[in-house]
Amino acid sequence: MAVAPYRVHRLIQDLMRNPAEAAQFAKDPAADYRRYGLADREARLLEAGSLEAMTELGVHPNLQMKFLRLRKASGDGAKLVGAGPLDAYLDRLLEP
Amino acid sequence: MGKIIGAIGMSHIMFPPDGIEEQAERVLQGMLAVRNKVRELKPDLIILAGGDHLNNFNLAVQVTLAIGVCDSFATMGDGGVPASEFPGNRVFAEGFTRFAARHDFELVQLEEVRPDHGMAFPKLVLDPANSIPTIPLYINAAMPVPPSPARCHRLGAVLRDYVEQQRPQEERVLVVGTGGLSHWLRVPGEGRVAEEFDAEVINALISGESERIARLSTEEIVEASGNGGLEVIAWLFAAGAVRHAQGEKIYYEAVPAWITGMGAVALLADD
Repeated sequence: MAVAPYRVHRLIQDLMRNPAEAAQFAKDPAADYRRYGLADREARLLEAGSLEAMTELGVHPNLQMKFLRLRKASGDGAKLVGAGPLDAYLDRLLEP
Repeated sequence: MGKIIGAIGMSHIMFPPDGIEEQAERVLQGMLAVRNKVRELKPDLIILAGGDHLNNFNLAVQVTLAIGVCDSFATMGDGGVPASEFPGNRVFAEGFTRFAARHDFELVQLEEVRPDHGMAFPKLVLDPANSIPTIPLYINAAMPVPPSPARCHRLGAVLRDYVEQQRPQEERVLVVGTGGLSHWLRVPGEGRVAEEFDAEVINALISGESERIARLSTEEIVEASGNGGLEVIAWLFAAGAVRHAQGEKIYYEAVPAWITGMGAVALLADD
């Protein structure tokens, strides 16, 4: 199975820990792709975001999820943390 | 000497019940049954083993085995698990690190870590009041080169030796391995659930034959149960801490809607 060049993973990791850079990336992803030295093919596969494209590029599964969440959040203008996936259970889980 | 009173293996997250309400309820009841088991066992300390989802660790420095040595832990609040804080046990954790180093395991000590849902959800299930000191022990199955199943199992045995040789009389330690069961996450095959392999794992563990699974290679487990299924190495660590103790399946559900097999086992040490 392919493993993406570290520059791809480094970009995603940096975006995750730097909200200012993530905001900039949302406005102009191409600038970050250039800055991190991604080849056109790498940027295209990352942008496609499909399982097949990410697999071809070899993006780490956890970083795929983070990247897709980041793109979705910037697309929706939504916050990264949305409705809780555990809401239906929390009353019973939190009961001491 | 202290005592390992038991081992638990459990999945480490749930998802919304939409469309599978009855099955989700069975999973929740399984989780609550795990909680009841902890109440019966009355541990003084929990060793909570499992993986980080590239939140505290990443590919810049690929940490595979690490232990939280700080006095308390504030969780991340991701995955829908409310952020909370729970006490650790520095003396135990640092002592175990030194003991492990004399037995061929170098654990990375963590003074700063914010457990993500992989630790925080099981912690909520096990101890909702956050009253039982708990030490996160990271077994990062998501790293490109994870520790082997056999080595995780053996680390469990080292933990047992530490507790029996160096911990105070009457200390009751519960070991919990979290994650799994089978799932293929963002790789070809996503959506599969390997019900038969999950059953094989559960049956081996509750029969006191965890070594049978620990003999498999990383690649064999990934092939059989997916990249996410490899999280079962944390279950092997827990099982390694109770020798050949037998136990019970608390629940199992193959949940295609959540693209995963969900389950829990409890292995109880002989008195």
